[in-house]
Formats: sequence, structure tokens, C-alpha cells
Amino acid sequence: MTNPPMIALQDAMKKYDDGPPALAGVTLSVASGECVAILGHSGSGKSTLLNLIAGLDKPSSGTVTVDGTRVDQLGEAGSAKYRRASIGMIFQFFNLLDDLTVLDNVMVPAQLAGMGKGEAKRRAVELLGSLGIDRHAKAYPQRLSGGQRQRVAVARALMNKPALLLADEPTGALDSSSAEDVRRLLLDLNSEGQTIVLVTHDVQLAASTARRTIELVDGAVERDVVNDGSGAGLAARTPLTRPAGAVG
Amino acid sequence: MSALGKVVRSGVGRRRVQSLVMALTTFAAVTSSVLSLGLLAVVQAPFEHAFSARNGAHLAVQFDGSKATAAQAAATAHAAGVTGAAGPYPIAAALDTTVGTDCPDKDFAGHDNGPITVTTRPDPGSTSGMDQLVLTQGRWPTGPGEIALPWQHFATVCFGDSVVFSSLPGKPSFKVVGFGGSVTNSATAFATADGFARLTAAGAKSDVQMLYRFAKAGTDADIATDKQAVAAAAPAGAVEGGQSYLTAEQQATGNAKAFVPFLIGFGILGLFMSVLIIAIVVSGAVASGIRRIGILKSLGFTPSQVARAYTAQAMIPATLGVVLGTVFGNLLAVPILDGATKQLGAAGATIPLWVSAVVPLGTLLIVGTTALIPALRAGRMPTVQALVAGRAPKAGAGRTAQRLASRLPLPRAMSLGLAQPFARPARVVLVGAAVLFGMVGVTFAVGLGSSFNKYLDTSTSGFNVASEFVIPTADVGVPWGRYGPNDPRRPHLDAAKVAAALAGTPGTKAAFGWGESGATIVGAPPGGELPKVFTVTGDVSWTKMELLSGRWFSAPGEAVVGDKLATTVGIHVGDDVTVVQQNKQLPLKVVGINFDTNVGDYTVMTDAATFTAAGLAPHIEQFNVELADNVSGSDWSTSAAAALTPLNASVQPHSDGGKNIVVITMGALVATLTLMVVAVAALGVLSMVVQDTRERVHDLGIFKALGMTPKQTIAMVLTSVSLTGLIAGLIGVPLGVAVEKATLTPMGNAIGRHLPPSVSHVYTAGLLVPLLAGGIVIALLGALLPAGWAARTRTATALRTE
Repeated sequence: MTNPPMIALQDAMKKYDDGPPALAGVTLSVASGECVAILGHSGSGKSTLLNLIAGLDKPSSGTVTVDGTRVDQLGEAGSAKYRRASIGMIFQFFNLLDDLTVLDNVMVPAQLAGMGKGEAKRRAVELLGSLGIDRHAKAYPQRLSGGQRQRVAVARALMNKPALLLADEPTGALDSSSAEDVRRLLLDLNSEGQTIVLVTHDVQLAASTARRTIELVDGAVERDVVNDGSGAGLAARTPLTRPAGAVG
Repeated sequence: MSALGKVVRSGVGRRRVQSLVMALTTFAAVTSSVLSLGLLAVVQAPFEHAFSARNGAHLAVQFDGSKATAAQAAATAHAAGVTGAAGPYPIAAALDTTVGTDCPDKDFAGHDNGPITVTTRPDPGSTSGMDQLVLTQGRWPTGPGEIALPWQHFATVCFGDSVVFSSLPGKPSFKVVGFGGSVTNSATAFATADGFARLTAAGAKSDVQMLYRFAKAGTDADIATDKQAVAAAAPAGAVEGGQSYLTAEQQATGNAKAFVPFLIGFGILGLFMSVLIIAIVVSGAVASGIRRIGILKSLGFTPSQVARAYTAQAMIPATLGVVLGTVFGNLLAVPILDGATKQLGAAGATIPLWVSAVVPLGTLLIVGTTALIPALRAGRMPTVQALVAGRAPKAGAGRTAQRLASRLPLPRAMSLGLAQPFARPARVVLVGAAVLFGMVGVTFAVGLGSSFNKYLDTSTSGFNVASEFVIPTADVGVPWGRYGPNDPRRPHLDAAKVAAALAGTPGTKAAFGWGESGATIVGAPPGGELPKVFTVTGDVSWTKMELLSGRWFSAPGEAVVGDKLATTVGIHVGDDVTVVQQNKQLPLKVVGINFDTNVGDYTVMTDAATFTAAGLAPHIEQFNVELADNVSGSDWSTSAAAALTPLNASVQPHSDGGKNIVVITMGALVATLTLMVVAVAALGVLSMVVQDTRERVHDLGIFKALGMTPKQTIAMVLTSVSLTGLIAGLIGVPLGVAVEKATLTPMGNAIGRHLPPSVSHVYTAGLLVPLLAGGIVIALLGALLPAGWAARTRTATALRTE
């Protein structure tokens, strides 16, 4: 008996207004403990895919199931609770709250979930320590470097011990040194069993971080390949999934 | 459409809520201002004009003819402070009259016409000298059988027929040939010298009247001083009474003028709120549109064009509010002014045109200036700075508050909301000010409303207190006051027998009888309502009749005077007041001043035994009965009927007295204006929270991405205004109480009353505690809609918003 996938999209389609679909009936699955990179150019639908998985948006048709939860069927409150419990998110521009200290930023998801202040603080300090930024706990995000801010964002994302970590261009706003720092962090987390979906347009980052890369083109899965770590064969591999009627 | 026009139109369109708020607030301000200023002008102007044109007398003094000769009265023209005098004129006060039987209208023929005060002038039609009389219909009397009096003192349908002096021997009769009178009601009937002689020959007591103008006569205190000077110049005790022009003015303008103090209050409040809301909205538009301003300027808009664009965005809705407010204010004035000017013969009850021009233009000037200040700031903003600065709050703002709030034992969503306003302290001040003004308005209005209700409460005090009433059987089903008190058809009760019957009826706990004696009061103001002298038998202590000073009468010869009469005439406890019935005078010692709005303006109450002892006839027309506990009204009535029926008396169930239409109108007006003020305050909050929500939409996206539920989002937004609302409420309530206190007294004065604590002290703890929480309620009301919008914001979109 095989374990159910952590993420399962079945013919997930998202259409805005009268234009072409942003996501054109994607079917894919991600196993627990996998680190999958979603690769694609701007407008390819990778952020839309991430939003559907995070419950930030709903598919126009098809289903999205994460950790056994039909995300596409959740209401606003249900989506919020799902994100609290199952999802950690990190963003290209960090999305930290400037008027809260680093510690308070990290504590927010746990506190919104109802965790006691003392317990939330203990866990936040522990996370900040494990990510090597505990000395900045009382600082405000604007005083930190890009890499440090992204580490804070990672700590915040991990605060509620989510089943799934979604990273949207996590190195996009970082210098190369900080980007490498974050890449290693993601690798470490994955090696500890954290399921990660990494959205990026950086082929090298995808190849070096994820064990599997899904390439989106015009809202459809163009390729779905297992990486060898170099990224060199990405363009030559045969897609594992190709939805009917997808463009390109 | 020009580029500037398009920018203005799109600006108004983008801020529909704020535009609505600006329109509403100016609407409220202008409505109140037009009404208050208009009422002041309308109710004051006709009297002032007539008083000036007719060279009215500041004071008309009546000298006792038995104590001062005409020459002695005339000599008082040289008293201190007198700048002009007229007289002496012979005068006969408070003579009972009936409408002659020659009147073709059966409803009036032979009926009581009330007491009138007759004088004679050498030339009543004179257009020079003091207190020139004005004729509104017919002509002045030329023969001994003719008389003229004001239209209010005789049935119009009986004009040309006779008036009969019913209490004088021989009942002399005069033909009413004219309607006319004095602007200050110095007398209520005018006869020729020969005609006057007919009255004195028939037994009327002839006194002497002098009219005066003084150097200083602006206030009641001035007039009182002047009156003392006149009295000092006359033989001791000769002054019987004095009629101040201020009393006449109050009688002519009182009801309408009573609206003015609170309308001024609301007008000022509305204007403050207009300025505040315009400042909030335009500053907010500038603050949140900095990038837009940068783009406009980069496209070639000049600073002046930018300033004009932002001023116009405020002026368009403000102008709409101003126009509608002017129209609404004029429309509201019609029912309020109806009848207010009739007494002075003014043509119409409409607000003068200049008020409808000055108020809107002044308001537009004020709001225009208010809008121009931030608009100029927008115009002067350097383009690059505008493009770069965007609209993010300054880094660091509100951090301390966030740190402190995070320590509070509150759910995180609430502690986040609590600290949020500190990121923009100026905005908090504006929100707080909107709520504060709203709470001042609410507190002020609730106080006024409670006072009005107390004033209106005709069922719990005085002559309306009873479990059951007993009235003459002939009066059952007949409207109260159909026949005058001296009308022979008016039925009375046999007081002693009815009292005995009631005492013998099981279940009677207490009872007293009372009635309008038909007597009048020497020196009572001749204008306005007719004075009434009530005779009372039995114990009235259980009726909660309110004494403003002194005590209730307890011995023969004592009386209690109504506060309006006391205020108007200047009667104090310890003074004497003389009542006259059927030409018989009875001096009474005033031992108390009472407050009762139910039985008339000018009242005296005394024991029926006092009348009987002096040879006057007390009238007892009703018994008020208090039943013992657990006694059924219907059972008692059945039981009492057996004893009362042979006495031509019947039980009538208790019913509420009539409502005072002026007070009802005021209550409705206060409620309307309060709703407008609360709506404007809440919309002011809404406007700010909408702006805040727009600016924080990205943060909202982050919170929601981190798992903030819609309920938590709503809680955060609502909490963000609650502290401000609470503080504004705590400040606004005492201010509102102060405004109410400052307004109620002049309102009472305008209707000639000293309001007792039961009417003026209405802010009980039970009222104040909810009021203190009212600030939060207004703030939450205003924030509720934007909180819902915030909760519904699409997270993915919000996260993309910069």
C-alpha cells in the first residue's frame, strides 16, 4: 500500500476574465518529503499554481488536495485555518511586517493559531537559534540584510510545523551569497523531511535544490523531470505529464 | 472635458464613500445653520421691527387708582433712567367678558370671552408718540358704545357684534368695531373716554397706566431696576403691576425662539464636523494619492492645477450638501415657524433670502479653505519625492505601540489592531475628533430628549396624577374647556358632598378636588394665554406637583404661583398677588412657586376655603382619586357610581394629557439632527478606515497568508478604532453634558420657564454609562463595513499590491 501524495492536483484550471487560462488543467502530485521546483518564465502560471496549493486562490475547475484536505472546497475561514496548520510560505520580497520585531514576526502565525504567548516565544527563539539569527530577535526587519530577512521569513514559515513549505522565488531579491545561504537552508530542511515546493525561474536554483523539477509553459506542465543535481539535462527530458489541450 | 476636469471627476468617482461623507456632513451643518440663523431672524425681526416702528414702551406700569392720582403717576416720568413716557391713561384691569348674544354663531354667542383690560387713549390711531396702536381690521371706536381689541381676544366670526362686561352690574355691552392693539400688549381693549366712563360708572375700578422708555432696558434685570425706580417715584404701594416689552417679545417669539439655542448648538457642531471631515478626506486623498500626484506632475500638471484638482474633489460633494442643506433647512422651518409670526402680523413664515445665501456661501468658503490647505501641499510636493515616497507610513511609526500591545493578554489579532493607529497618529486624532464631535452631539441630544420627555410627561405629575377622575356627569364625553370658567353652562361639582362620597367609598386612598375659578390675576401679562386661578380642596401632596421654591399653601389667604407667571411678572415667595372674580378682589400671600406645564402658562393655586371666606366662589370641577393598593379600578368605579350618580358626578378613567406640539417637534428635530451627526461621525471613521485598509492591504495579505481568518481580520480592524472611540467618548460625553446645560437654560428662558431639576438634571448614571461607551459604538459602526471589506480582500491580490 502506497502513501497518498502530499499534494495532488487533478485537472486544475484557473481562468481570469476572458483571457487564456493562467493554469490549463494541471494534473500532478508531490509526495511527502519531496522537494519539487516549479520552473517557468514570467506568466507561465507558476505563481497561480502556488496560490492554488496555498489556498490563496481557487481553481476555476479541477481539484487541489493537500495533505488530505480538499483545498479547493474550503471557505475563507477554512483556507486560513488550513494555511495555519499545513502551509508555511516564504516570498521573494520576504513579506515581513516592518512594525513588528523579528521575534514578533516569527510568533504571529502561532499566535493567530491560538498558541499561548510563552510557548510561541519559546518555539520562535528556538527556530531563530537554529537558523542562526537569534541575536536579531529584537531588531526590526528593515535593519537586517536580505539573507537575514529571508531566514526570518523561513523561521516564520516553519513556526506552526507545516506539512508543506511553499517558497516563491525565495532568492529572487538576494545577492548571490545570500541566495546560496537560503538554498542550503532549503536543502537542510528537505533533508530533515520537510516537503518543499519551490517556485522559481532560476534553472540552477531548481536543479541544485530540488530533486524534481516541473516546468510550466503557458499554464501547462511542459516537463516533469527528476534532477541529477546539475540541471544540465532539464531541457532534454521528456515530460511525465502533459494535459490535454494545453498550450505549447 | 479638460485634463483637469477628468482628474477631478475620476478623483470623485474613486472616492465615492468619502464624497458621500463630505456631502452629508455639509448637508447637516447647513441644515442646522440655516434653521438656527433663519429662526433667529424670523422670530426676532418682526417684533423688533414692530417695536421700533411703533415706538413701543419698554414698560407699562399700572398704578392703583386709590393710592395714586393721575398727576402722581405722571410725575414718575421723571424717575431715574426714564428717557420717555406716555400717559397717564385710565385703565380697568381684568374685567370678565362674554360674547354678546347678537353673535350669529351659536358656538360663541353668550359664551365666556375671558377677562380683558380696557384703557382709553386720546387718539388711538395716532402715528406719533409712544406705543402707537395698529389696527388690523375695522376702525377705532368713536362712540361710547364701541370698543376695539386684538383679534386674539375676540371670536373673529363675531366681529361687529357685541362684547359684554359680564361681571359688572348692568352688564354694559360694547360693539366690537375694530381689531387692533399694542405691540407690547399694554392693554387688551381700547374704548373712547366716554366708553371707559361707562365701565367705571358700572363699577369697574379705574386705575392709572403710564408707559415708559428707559436708557437701559436690554434685560429683565434692567427692566426690574427701572420698575423699582418708577415705584420709588410714586406713592408707596401704588404700583400694581408692570408689563415688560421683553415679556411681550417672549410671548410673540417664545416657541420658535426656544428652538434657536439647540439649533445653534447643532449648527456649530455640524460646521466643526464639516471642517473636520473635509480635512480628513482631502488630507487622506492627498496622503494616499502621493504617487498619483507625482504621476500627474510628471505628465505636466502645474502645482496650481494639482491644488485645484484636489480642492474641487472636495468642493463638488460639499456644494451638493450645501444646496440640499439649504433647501432642507428652509423646508424644516415651515412647520416650526407656522404661527410664530402671525401674532405680529408678519406676512410669511419663511426664512429670509439673505440667510439662504449667507449660510451656504459661508460654508463653501470654510470648506474650500479647509480643502485648499492640503491641496496646496499636494501641489507643492516635489515630483520625484512624490513618485518615490508612495504612501507607506514612515518606518518606525507605531513600533513602540506594537511592542507594548504585544504584551497585552489579548488575542494577537486584537493586539495588532490596538497598536495599528499609532502608526498614523495624526489620522487617529482626526478619527478621534470625528467620534468626539459625534458623541458631543449624541450626549447633547440624549440630554435634550430626556429633558423634553420629562417636560412632556403630563401623566405623572400635578393635576393629571390619579387612579381615577371624578367629573360632573354633564362633562362626560365633552371636550375639556368647551365653556369658559365663568360660563353659566359650565358644570361644577358639589365639593363637600363628592368628597364625602369618595371618602365613604371602599378603596379610596386619597382624593382632592380642583377647578378653574374663573378669577383672573391683577398684573398678569395681558398677552399670551389667559391667566388661571385654580381653587383646590383636599390633600394634593401625593400628586408629586413640583415646587421650585417655598411650600404649599396651608392657611387661608395663601397661594402658590406658577413659575411662568412668577418669572414674567417678577413674583417671589412672600410677595402678594391679587386675584379678581366677578369684580371682587382678593389679595393672596405667595408661599410657593410651582412648576407645572399642564394647566396653563399663568397660574395661581389656592385653597377653595380661602375663596369661600372672602366671599368668592370656588369652582370644583374634578376630583383626582388615588386608590389603595390592590384595588381594582373597575370595581371601585362601580362601587363609587352608586354614591356619585345622585350628585351628578361620574367616574372617568385616567387618560394621558395632550402632548405639547412644540416639544414634540423639537424632539423630532433633535432626533433627526442627532442621526445626521452620528451618521457623519461614523462615516468619518469609515472614510479613515477605508483609507487605512487600502494602505494596509499588503499587510492584510501577509496576515491572511499566515493564517489570519476573516473573523480575526474583522477583529483586528475593529480593535484598531476602539481605543480611539473609547477615549473620544470619554471626552465627548462631558462636553456634550456641558453643551446641554448651556443650551437648556436659554431654551427654558425662551418659553419663560425656570426648568426644575426633574427636567434639567437628566444625566443619571444609567444614562451616562451607556453614553460613555457610545464613542466605541460610533467608531465600530464606522469601521464595520471596511472591516468586512478587509476580511474579503483576496490574499493573492493583496500580496501583489505594493
